[in-house]
Amino acid sequence: MNVVIVKNLMARLNAMGEAVLFLGDVLKVIFSGRVRFSQVLMQMYYQGVQSVVIVILASMASGVVLGLQGSATLQRFGAREFIAPLVALSLLRELGPVFTAFIYSGKSGAGITAELGTMNTHEQIQATRALGVDPIEFLVVPRFLACVLVLPVLVIIAELVGMLGGYIVGITQAQLPSAIYIRQTMQSIHYVDFFSGLIKSVFFSVIVAWICCYQGFFTSGGALGVGRFTTRAVAYSYIAVLLSNVVLTMFILTVWG
Amino acid sequence: MIKVNHLSKTLDDQKVLTDISFQVSEGEILIILGPSGVGKTVLLKHLIGLLQPDQGSIVINGKDITKFSQQQQLAMRKDFGYLFQEGALYDFMNVFENVAFPLREHTNFNASKIRQRVQEVLDMVDLHQVESKMPLELSGGMKKRVGLARAIVLSAKILLCDEPTSGLDPIRSHDISDLIRQVVKKIGATTVITSHDVINAFRIADRVAILHEGRMEVMGTVQEVSSCQDAFVKEFLQLSKV
Ligand SMILES: Nc1ncnc2c1ncn2[C@@H]1O[C@H](COP(=O)(O)OP(=O)(O)OP(=O)(O)O)[C@@H](O)[C@H]1O
Ligand SMILES: [Mg+2]
Repeated sequence: MNVVIVKNLMARLNAMGEAVLFLGDVLKVIFSGRVRFSQVLMQMYYQGVQSVVIVILASMASGVVLGLQGSATLQRFGAREFIAPLVALSLLRELGPVFTAFIYSGKSGAGITAELGTMNTHEQIQATRALGVDPIEFLVVPRFLACVLVLPVLVIIAELVGMLGGYIVGITQAQLPSAIYIRQTMQSIHYVDFFSGLIKSVFFSVIVAWICCYQGFFTSGGALGVGRFTTRAVAYSYIAVLLSNVVLTMFILTVWG
Repeated sequence: MIKVNHLSKTLDDQKVLTDISFQVSEGEILIILGPSGVGKTVLLKHLIGLLQPDQGSIVINGKDITKFSQQQQLAMRKDFGYLFQEGALYDFMNVFENVAFPLREHTNFNASKIRQRVQEVLDMVDLHQVESKMPLELSGGMKKRVGLARAIVLSAKILLCDEPTSGLDPIRSHDISDLIRQVVKKIGATTVITSHDVINAFRIADRVAILHEGRMEVMGTVQEVSSCQDAFVKEFLQLSKV
């Protein structure tokens, strides 16, 4: 019994070590300038297109829901006009980065893992090596960088769309004057709100890129393996985003308030 | 020149290759025959450093490639052509881009020169009007021929082909075998081919080896191997010939 647990633990630690080495290889290629820009652009387009519609839908929906719930609950305290800051701050500080990272890992992240995993099972990663080309440079870094660059942009889009959703509810359902809603929003947002969200989203984007590229690059077990590693990549991304969000939030609140 | 010394490899607790030693001289064609699952692909992957041996060395042009770093291995492979058993074409690129890939990576040919060279090798492997097809739209045999085109497009100094004729019809097998011999003799490539195809192997090889249970059972010229008295070799050759 104990032997099994120890073996399992060792395997886990081993995999984590491997994942760290993998990230090291990726960063080495990036910082030594071996970046294929046309590939990065292609991947950015591809990953962005994959996720943008669902991100917009989801953030519009959350903005609307925030507005509705806000107007219902704040009314009880006679503080209806605080809908605007409620919507803006929730989106900027928490919901925008976290939700978008979830959606992104479920769409584009899963796509990265499935693509790299399929290439791996069809020996295309080995073939790249056989052709004298570093597969990390040719196949992984473009996907990794695209993810790191696109996800934060989508977070900003999600925040703007979400605030629009809140605004629509605010001026129709809660019948706040448009000018007041907008002024309230502007006044309530401090630099820290925007930048703490942005820092989070950059952090999440690296985590999602790392996990999804790693799982794809080391996929084994044929078509079944591709399915297994892809769902694992998404699940690990969710967990990693949630946990790191707790740590980041505590950190940001202590340093910045 | 390729020199393999006492190479052994275990995969997943299974001893696949045991104490393999052989040499291939400059410009020679060695064909390794053997039943399915005997370790031909594993052996070939060692020769280009995709697998590392547990024991033994692989000396290519005087250097032991098992001691190379990753970067050294990548650099060395510019002089290699490798045909994967299943082709291993990039399925996100069409045929033209697949064959052009080594040229784009390792030469500074301009667009028209690349087009010309790709056309040339696709003609050689008898593929026409497929440049814009994706690999998923090709038959198994066509994929193999595109893979071969990609392997020879740079005029490799060392050519490794994993079953170039399996999955091809008899006429194509015959033609592709002739083509390989013609091409490698023209560019003087040192060539190792794995195969089940005894008839074509005996036609085009300079020397033949037979793998059995992870060991080199016999190795020599076609005459030498044909007259080998080993029971397995006799049976293998007899059953393979029509
Ligand atoms: N990655 C791997 N992990 C574990 N075992 C492997 C691996 N690759 C090959 N093997 C085992 O090594 C043995 C030799 O496999 P190999 O692919 O070299 O056979 P082969 O001679 O090329 O056969 P075929 O003619 O069918 O292609 C097989 O028993 C196989 O199960
Ligand atoms: Mg094989």
